[in-house]
Amino acid sequence: MKLFAALALGAVALLAAPDLRCQLQSMDEDVFSRTLANSGKVVLFDFWATWCDPCRAELPALVKLERKWRGRGLVLVTISADEPEQEVPALRFLLKSGVRFPAYVKHVKNDELFIDSIDRKWSGALPGVFLYDRAGQKAASFIGETDNTEIEKALGRLL
Amino acid sequence: MKRTITWAVVLFAGAALAQDFKLGSKIDDFTIQDLAGKPQTFSHLKGEVTAIVFISVQCPVSNAYNDRMNALYKDYSSKGVHFLFLNANSTEPAPAVAEHAKENGFAFPVYKDNGNVVADRFDAQATPETFVIDHTGTVVYHGSIDDSQQPARIQNQWLRRALDSVLAGKPVEKAETKAFGCTIKRVRKSL
Repeated sequence: MKLFAALALGAVALLAAPDLRCQLQSMDEDVFSRTLANSGKVVLFDFWATWCDPCRAELPALVKLERKWRGRGLVLVTISADEPEQEVPALRFLLKSGVRFPAYVKHVKNDELFIDSIDRKWSGALPGVFLYDRAGQKAASFIGETDNTEIEKALGRLL
Repeated sequence: MKRTITWAVVLFAGAALAQDFKLGSKIDDFTIQDLAGKPQTFSHLKGEVTAIVFISVQCPVSNAYNDRMNALYKDYSSKGVHFLFLNANSTEPAPAVAEHAKENGFAFPVYKDNGNVVADRFDAQATPETFVIDHTGTVVYHGSIDDSQQPARIQNQWLRRALDSVLAGKPVEKAETKAFGCTIKRVRKSL
């Protein structure tokens, strides 16, 4: 009986808490630069948040894109713009969406400079998806709701 | 000759679509719609100082500012600031905007920017996103209301600081900040 209760409690805990092996990592200016430097990959950065309906709608499609093009060198890097109290729901959504980890949450030193460094025309509004080539140079920006075929077309030019 | 004229027309149309209400530049008159669909012009709605705020019905970030927008309106209307709260989202028609305003007890009128014409001229991207226009018609502040969606984490009340400076006849120290939030849902325009 005790064993059953312990197993039940364990099951409840597993359902309640996200997989601890998959925590959100901090994305700051240095991590962003390191992610790009010498990666030799085409990197698609997806800035999203749990409160952003279009972001949540787009993410599964981006995961599919990564699965399709991973073998040719595409990496999807998700960066949540959620507040600290929303990080657990963000993690749950990422796990449910099948996102590969590491996944990140934005904790930058200077938000304005960071956003400008990605795209001066971007205000930081979500959704924001940015494509970088194998040399770490930005190849395309997709600000606002974007048709997935536009992203795939841009990917096709790089992969 | 005919081809030259055609290209000139196309170029002119293109120029008209580009952002022309930039920080530091004077703005022209523009037309928006009240929630009954009646056209209203900036020249009739403006004050000595005017705050233009792009807002949304559905965006949680914009909605996080509902109480702060009401407080701003209350605090600064009495000082002579006129406010234009604009909804430029093509996905949010006037009846939904009116219902949202009523539900949230907005003390201020909300207008529609049909076809996001005004948002395009300001190159507004987000909700909420604000612009302050001084008595000369010059854009003197562009950006966010403050620096945190969570009231407890606010460190800089950017819009209040800008309004205080303009009302005091001083230059705005921090004239541009990043307007974080949801992207404005624009109409799809065919070329």
